[in-house]
Amino acid sequence: MRRRGTKLCFSLLFAMVGMLFFAGPASASGESIGSCIVEKLEHIAEEGHHDDGHHDHGVEHLFHSLHASEGATEDEKKKVKKNEDKLESCLEAPSPIIPELSEVIWGGGAFLILFVVMVKKGFPAVKAAMDARSDKIRDDLDAAEKAKTDAQNVHADYEARLADAKNEASRLIDEARGAADQVRTDLVAKAEADIAEMKTRAANEIEASRQQAIADLRAEVAGIALGAAEKVVQGSLDDDAQRRLVDQYIDEVAGS
Amino acid sequence: MNVIALEFPPVSHLFDWPDILFSGSLFAVNKTVLIYLAAVLITSAIFLSAGKQRGSLVPVGVQHVAESGVNFVEESVVMETIGPEGKKYLPFLTTMFFFILFSNIFEVVPGIQFPANSRMAVPITLALVVWVIYNFVGVRSQGIGGYLKNSLFPPGVPKALYLIVTPIELVSTFVVRPFSLAIRLWANMVAGHLLLVTFAILTQTLWDNGYVGAAAPFAMLILMTGFEILVSVLQAFIFTILTAVYIGGSMHAEH
Repeated sequence: MRRRGTKLCFSLLFAMVGMLFFAGPASASGESIGSCIVEKLEHIAEEGHHDDGHHDHGVEHLFHSLHASEGATEDEKKKVKKNEDKLESCLEAPSPIIPELSEVIWGGGAFLILFVVMVKKGFPAVKAAMDARSDKIRDDLDAAEKAKTDAQNVHADYEARLADAKNEASRLIDEARGAADQVRTDLVAKAEADIAEMKTRAANEIEASRQQAIADLRAEVAGIALGAAEKVVQGSLDDDAQRRLVDQYIDEVAGS
Repeated sequence: MNVIALEFPPVSHLFDWPDILFSGSLFAVNKTVLIYLAAVLITSAIFLSAGKQRGSLVPVGVQHVAESGVNFVEESVVMETIGPEGKKYLPFLTTMFFFILFSNIFEVVPGIQFPANSRMAVPITLALVVWVIYNFVGVRSQGIGGYLKNSLFPPGVPKALYLIVTPIELVSTFVVRPFSLAIRLWANMVAGHLLLVTFAILTQTLWDNGYVGAAAPFAMLILMTGFEILVSVLQAFIFTILTAVYIGGSMHAEH
C-alpha cells in the first residue's frame, strides 16, 4: 500500500517535471508588450465610437484620439494624455515584490499539505527509525559492556582457581616428596638394623658352631687319641694316668 | 532593454511565468506553482520511502537524506537556538527546511532553472506563519503582559533608553521581522537567478560573436551555478534557523 503511494508520488513528480519543460518562456502575465498595445488600441478605438458623435472610422479615429490638434480644447488634450498613459502602461512590468495571489494560494496550500504529510507520516517514521537505531546501538553497547565485565569476572575466577590448583599441586608434590623421603629413611634404617641384627646373629651362630665344633672335635679327638694311646700303651698305664696324659696331650695340641 | 548591444529581457519576463492551467482564476497554475508542488512531492517521497525501511538498522538510500536532514535541523537549528524544549517544533522546522530547499534548488536544475522562492508568494506566506507562531508561543509561555514587557522593555537597559529602545523593538519585533525574513530569502533568490541569467545571456551573445569571448562568462556561469547551490541550501538554513531563533526568543524571557 505504502509502495503504491510512493510510486504515485514519483509518477506525479515526473508528470510535473514534464509539464515544467513545456511551461514555455516567461512573459508579463502571459502577454507580450506588442499584444498589450494592440489590445489597448482596440479598446481606445471602441471607446471613441461610443463616446463622441464623431463618425470617423478606424485609423482616422485612432489618430484623433492620440494626437491633439492645434486648436484642441483642454478636454481633448486630457483625453489624449489619458490614452497615452494607457498605452505606456503596457511597458510597466508588474512589481516583482507584490506576491501573486494564485501563487500564494498554491504555495501556502502546498506547504500545508506537506506539513500534514510530514507530521502524520513521514517525520514520525523517520524519527522512529532513528530513535530505534540509537536505542539499539545504546542497548548493544550496554550489553557488550556487560558481557565484557562478565568475561573479565570469569577470567579472574579462572585465574584464581588455576592459582589454587597450582598451589595444591605443588603442595601435594612436596607432601609426596616428604613422604617418600621418610619412607626411604625408614627403609634404610630398618635395613641397616636388619643387617646389623643378621650380622650379630650370624656371628653368634658362627661362634656357637665353632664351640660346638671344638667340643665335638675335642670329644672325637679325645676318643681317637684314647683309642690310639690305648693301643700304644696297652696295659702299662692305669686309667687315671692315661687320662692325664691324654688331657696333657690335648692341651698341647690345643695350645700349639 | 538594450544594454551594450545585449538583448536583456525585462526583469518581469524572468520571474513572472504565464499561466498553464486555470488561467486568470485564483487557482491559476504556472511554473512557480509546479515547482512548489514538486517540492512537496520530492520531500514527501523522500520521507515516506525512508520511513518504509523502518526495520533496517543500517540506513540505505534516501534514508540518509531524510535522516541527515532531520539530524541537521535537530542538532544545528533546534538544539543551538531553543534547546531540548524546542523538539516539538522539529517536524515544522524540518518541513520548512526541505520545502524551501527544494523550491530553491530548481534554480540550478537543467531545463527548469527557476528558484520558486524568487517569487514573493511562499517567502511572505511562510514568514507570516512564523510571525503568528512566535507571537503565539510568546503569549502562551510568558503571558501577554510578560511577553510584551520582555519584548518592548528588554531588562538590563537603562530606563531613559527605553524612550529609544521601545519604539525600535516594537517596530523590529512586531512589524519588520516577517518582512525581513521574507525579503532575505526572496531577494537572495532573485539576485541568484539574475546572476545566472546575466552570465548565460552574456555567454550566448559572445558565443554568437566569435566563440572565444564566451569562455570567461561561461566559466563564471559554472562557478555561479555552484555558488547558487550553496546559496539555495544556505537560505533554507537561514530561514529555518531564524524561525527557531524567534520561537526560542519568545519562549524564554531575554536575560
